[in-house]
Amino acid sequence: MTEVRYYGQAIPGFNETYLPGKLIVVEGTDGVGRSTQIALLQEWLEGRGFAVASTGLRRSELARRGIDRAKQGHTLSDTVLFLLYATDLADRLESQIIPALRAGMVVLTDRYIYSMIARAQVRGADPKWIRQVLGFALIPDAIFYLQADLPHLIPRVLSEQGGFDYWESGTDFFKGRDLFKNYVRYQTRLLMQFDAIAEEFGFRRIEANRSIKEIFTELRREVGTIVTPMKRQSGVGT
Amino acid sequence: MARSLRRSHHPGKLIVVEGIDGSGKSTQLDLLHKWLLSENYLVAFSEWNSSPVVRRITKRGKENKSLTPLSFSLIHAADFTDRLERQIIPALEAGAIVLADRYVYTAFARDVARGCSPQWVREVYSSALQPTLAFYFRVPLEESLRRILVGRPELKYYEAGLDLGLASDPYESFKLFQSRILQEYETLTEEFNLTVIDATQPLVKQQEQMRAVVRPHLEGALKAGAGSVADVLRDEALLGRYLEQISIGKNGEK
Repeated sequence: MTEVRYYGQAIPGFNETYLPGKLIVVEGTDGVGRSTQIALLQEWLEGRGFAVASTGLRRSELARRGIDRAKQGHTLSDTVLFLLYATDLADRLESQIIPALRAGMVVLTDRYIYSMIARAQVRGADPKWIRQVLGFALIPDAIFYLQADLPHLIPRVLSEQGGFDYWESGTDFFKGRDLFKNYVRYQTRLLMQFDAIAEEFGFRRIEANRSIKEIFTELRREVGTIVTPMKRQSGVGT
Repeated sequence: MARSLRRSHHPGKLIVVEGIDGSGKSTQLDLLHKWLLSENYLVAFSEWNSSPVVRRITKRGKENKSLTPLSFSLIHAADFTDRLERQIIPALEAGAIVLADRYVYTAFARDVARGCSPQWVREVYSSALQPTLAFYFRVPLEESLRRILVGRPELKYYEAGLDLGLASDPYESFKLFQSRILQEYETLTEEFNLTVIDATQPLVKQQEQMRAVVRPHLEGALKAGAGSVADVLRDEALLGRYLEQISIGKNGEK
């Protein structure tokens, strides 16, 4: 990632200005195929000799269980849940992502702060506040936004995920019990939010209404241009 | 001009106590609590780091020492926000007196002592309501250390600030960490215009001062609806022999 940059304040106690690895984010709404593409990318990169670490939202040792528990009981407010997700990200940055980048690995992350921002903004959070809280986030080397529209997303959610998820339908938010209607309304708003922040954060859009293979072909070409220069780098930490 | 937090429009009163470990703030808040209950006020109590859902995560992080200054700060903000939304604001809306043992100033002092940016921590807590009264129990470092360290208790990892690597000896680390926090509190006292109580005075004197400051704010505060059990016992000349078997009359306990 050559030069270490943050969206806001640096992580306390962390002074490195250079990390040899690359941080690559795959973003996109539910059912767009992020995890499939990341799995394919990881294998493809490893086949080319790159060491890869993959991570994603809610995968921290620290906060994962707590978040899952809170979601089951539906007891926490949007703001508290947002702060728990921020804790989860802080933990993963410091204990997984940065160590991997320091070791010169390619880090693939399934969603990053952008999903958190889109989700919080749909729920009416103060846009300025959420950005300030998340100011400790490292600016990644690339953000690939898999963009699909609802008519393409719905069949995937139904066939691959076995139906509409309570949270991905925003049913915590709309209260009505019609999951399909909620899903359509919620994802429409979420897609609008992603669209609204695309430019601010410099998303690279990958048109995801296409087949898995077509998406992957484009994605690996783009990722290739980011990781290839790593082969010319000299040793770690120089 | 001192800085304020978000203004509260609720009828209740929020009274908070702050200070380093060993300043005696919890003892004073407890005495205030008992007094308010004896005056039949409706009192709610909220303690730092006590949200049922969030506290478990914090505990886990402390146990395996995986909290960093950043995640330590964020998880405490989640805990605070949960209590703010669930305990503090509803009670203030209802018109109660809410007592808080530590408030956002604890985070401002501790997290900054741990290396977080002062500005960032203040932003994270920007949903916090301005308290009606915020007491700061000022005590010299040596005095607080004497109170805490008598008997050489076992200091916990984060409590002693061992995560900062200031010293390898827990006692030495604790002293250095507390002195940093104390410095931050001194800044906060001016920045947020905290009401300073000299915590080296006799306990009874501190409590007198605290009550004198609190009293004018009690006008119009909500009183407990059913009246106190004490009134009935007194007026009816009863002993309350069977009251211990039920939960009534225990509101005052934490």
